[in-house]
Amino acid sequence: MNAVDHKLMMELRDVSLTFHSGRKSYDHGKHHVLHELSLKVYEGETLGIIGRNGVGKTTMLRIMAGILAPNSGQVIIAPGKSASLLTLGLGFKPELSGRDNALLAAMLQGSTHGEAEVFLEEIKAFSELEDSFELPVKNYSAGMRARLGFTTALMTHVDILLIDEVLGVGDAHFRGKAQAALRERITSDQTVVFVSHMADQVKAMCDRVIWLEHGKIAMEGEADKVVDAYQDEITAARKQGALERRDKDKPTKSAP
Amino acid sequence: MHFSQFFRLADVMARMALRADATKFFLGYIWWVIEPLLYVAVLYVVFSVILSNRQPDFLFFLMVGKFAYTWFAKSVIQASNSIVAGKGLIGKVNVPKTLFPLASVQEGLYKQVAVFSLLFAVLIYGGYQVTVTWVYVLPVILVNYIMILACAYLGATLVCIVRDFAPLISLGMIFLMFSSGIFWDARDLGDPDKTALLLAVNPLAFIFDAYRQALMYATPPDMLHLFAIGAVFAGLLGIMVLIMRRASQYLALRALTE
Repeated sequence: MNAVDHKLMMELRDVSLTFHSGRKSYDHGKHHVLHELSLKVYEGETLGIIGRNGVGKTTMLRIMAGILAPNSGQVIIAPGKSASLLTLGLGFKPELSGRDNALLAAMLQGSTHGEAEVFLEEIKAFSELEDSFELPVKNYSAGMRARLGFTTALMTHVDILLIDEVLGVGDAHFRGKAQAALRERITSDQTVVFVSHMADQVKAMCDRVIWLEHGKIAMEGEADKVVDAYQDEITAARKQGALERRDKDKPTKSAP
Repeated sequence: MHFSQFFRLADVMARMALRADATKFFLGYIWWVIEPLLYVAVLYVVFSVILSNRQPDFLFFLMVGKFAYTWFAKSVIQASNSIVAGKGLIGKVNVPKTLFPLASVQEGLYKQVAVFSLLFAVLIYGGYQVTVTWVYVLPVILVNYIMILACAYLGATLVCIVRDFAPLISLGMIFLMFSSGIFWDARDLGDPDKTALLLAVNPLAFIFDAYRQALMYATPPDMLHLFAIGAVFAGLLGIMVLIMRRASQYLALRALTE
């Protein structure tokens, strides 16, 4: 896909985010999560974001979804367009039935009460929960919860869908169905920003990939090239780490 | 989010929370009225039996004040922690932060419908005449609700920014319990100036007194005073809504990272 032909859906311009975490958290102090990050998302594309844990991937998605605001820089979204995170099990209460939870999740994702009521039947059918849909979620198996979570999440209707690693859900049968549904959504005209550290998934689903490192873009371009470069780097870093550990374990001369 | 959609969502959240709560206990929804009755029973034992309070209608007097106080205190305390408690949701969807305290306050309101119904039934059973002045309870309830909502929004914002406000708010509620004329009569302080001062500076004391005047003593409350309290708290509520809207992402960051 040639991104240039497509309409710009969202742009981050020199976005930085720093925050102080509280004394109660294990890593309290000042955190620089994103440093002057700039990127563009085009209509209909699937943009992949890869990077190690803690490089700011989730924070970036939260900024795109409007949940957080950057300290500096701009988030520009095409007029009339919306972006939200695909989220599993939004606000689930274990004491309530699958139906009640699905209603609440759909409304939290922006549906009106009437629209949510319509979705409920679709959710019941797709999740294959049948009569269990009326039972409290605390009686569900992990697989059943995953089905309900995935199906309610799939009901999100937005212009830019932001996905934060959700593909490994439920039992084998449902996982196949879930992945197919999600792939269909992603390969359709839906604009998607997809965060993952599973290289194969990113290669298979994304048109363009951005590699994040220390809150900055390390590389940007075609999916295959960027993912391969990222994997090479990870492998090299692992080897380096192993070497350093070996050196550390060597007996050293005691100080005089 | 459209206002009607926002309000409906808060309403559904409140109902769901109540339903979830009810399933946790064997007695379920009956707890809505058992709990305030037990509180009244405890205070009655202390003040009437142990401290020998001689006021003839003390039980009813206590019920009116305590039921209204419990509505205020429990709603404000719960709502104050609501944004922090909702951080799981806040990290995932961009919803107005006013949603969380509103849902808590609605939860308290729906319970209070049952509690006030019980109160009216008990008063009628206890021999109190239903007079025209009972109608004055409606504006008193409305002003009481506005006070709860305004304090809930203020409390939720403060606790979200600095968690240390939570114990201070709980302590403040205990102070209000002792200083608002729940188990003593604001009109029986032995000095009319003191009564006037208390009712002027403590809006809760005025509200509790207004409930009693209307329900027990067939006297309309001072409507101008009531209106003034309503206006002040409506103003506070408006300011809090504006602040919470403008600071929505800041509150999200505080909820997620503190």
